[in-house]
Amino acid sequence: MPTYNLYMGCSVPANYPNYEAAMLRVAKAFDMELEYMEDVACCGSPNLRAFDYFGWLVVNARTIAIGEKNGNDIVTPCNGCFGSLKDVLYHLKHDDEMRKEVNDELKEEGLELKGTIKVRHFVEALYTDIGIDAIRAKVTNPLDGAEIAIHYGCHLLRPEDVTEFNPEVLKELIRVTGAKVTEYPLWKQCCGATVLPVNEPLAIRLARDKLNSIKTAGAEFITVVCPACGNQLDLQQLGMKESYGEEYDLPVLLYPQILGLAMGMSEDEVGLNMNRVPAQGILEHLVE
Amino acid sequence: MAETDEKASPPVTLVDPIDMSKLDPSFRDDVKSMPNGEELTACFACSTCTAACPIANQWDFKPHQLIRMILLGMREEVLSSREIWECLTCFECQERCPQNVRVTDIFFDCKNLAAEEGYEVPENVLVLGKELVDKGQLYVVTADWEREDLDLEPEVPGLSVEEVEKILKKTRTGRLVGGE
Repeated sequence: MPTYNLYMGCSVPANYPNYEAAMLRVAKAFDMELEYMEDVACCGSPNLRAFDYFGWLVVNARTIAIGEKNGNDIVTPCNGCFGSLKDVLYHLKHDDEMRKEVNDELKEEGLELKGTIKVRHFVEALYTDIGIDAIRAKVTNPLDGAEIAIHYGCHLLRPEDVTEFNPEVLKELIRVTGAKVTEYPLWKQCCGATVLPVNEPLAIRLARDKLNSIKTAGAEFITVVCPACGNQLDLQQLGMKESYGEEYDLPVLLYPQILGLAMGMSEDEVGLNMNRVPAQGILEHLVE
Repeated sequence: MAETDEKASPPVTLVDPIDMSKLDPSFRDDVKSMPNGEELTACFACSTCTAACPIANQWDFKPHQLIRMILLGMREEVLSSREIWECLTCFECQERCPQNVRVTDIFFDCKNLAAEEGYEVPENVLVLGKELVDKGQLYVVTADWEREDLDLEPEVPGLSVEEVEKILKKTRTGRLVGGE
């Protein structure tokens, strides 16, 4: 069965252990061997790229080079990490001079980025390597057609030539659980997470635009595959209620939570009680 | 109204006049030579990037204007603008550019240039840099009981932050925020 280098980054383990646990349980059910990478740290996020391009390259090239030692693809549940690692790999594959400079920095540790492995988002690896049919075979408690809106997150989708992610992947992964995919106009739009440190009202406006678009389209739930997007769409709903009296009542679930529940896992196993907007409502949509 | 001999008022302009003496022709070459900046000069000012940007309506300088300002050599205005730092990095502009100008990547280049040349970097961005150089990560696990409840290791397996701290102390992050 496929073995992967699991790169967690810092945000999922610290803020979304429910995402981590649900992902590990789902992976285990399909014999995907996710092995935590050793001796790696944070990707630095797009913020690091903004003020220290070279540092961002070296930090992420280092992670990729560590992965290359055993030759297994790197898998991550976080769009921020995915974006950083994919972007760095793309930049260094297209810039021989810079790759040499970065590798000079890594030499001290005996590392070298060669570009021999892929960086992948967990949902893409699940879709491609396990396949929809094998997933369907394990769905024992399908959803009853509940309306779920997908928020992909920018760094999963764009730049397309870098991320190589096909949006249909998540749609199929949602449909196989028995849920319906709610189409909504702003499906591609940013959640606002990146601008939070610089302009909070702007970040809130973006989350609000998104939630309004989703609510109006008739969704009952939202699914995300990124902790930063999770913060913006889930946690911020509590803040909006408190600060502006706005109530969207849209529970936000990490994708493996939904699949896990449809595969018969308990709400504790997928950490449902840690979702900020109470998400227990989804249990009523499971067909026994 | 018929044309009369009323005195013409100054023309209404949408932007402030450009001070030609401040233009820096080397700016475009600087940006062009930075990562993914090569296509900069292919811009034909169609403003598709601005139409794609979800926050351009809140900006004084729209994305297509920023690109034009780079081409004109308005170094100071671009590198001191709040717009480059507010860019969501959502890549909607870049995805739609019919000339394949890597607009978002170019704004990343501008931020790096601004940081290198001593223009103001927003304080909270520097705070993140400080976190990275001091702790090697942006988020630290505080509620390890939450992890244990889910049968996860209390500490993140494999996490090691020293090398990242060491790397970033030597690069621009270290120069901007210092190390401990």
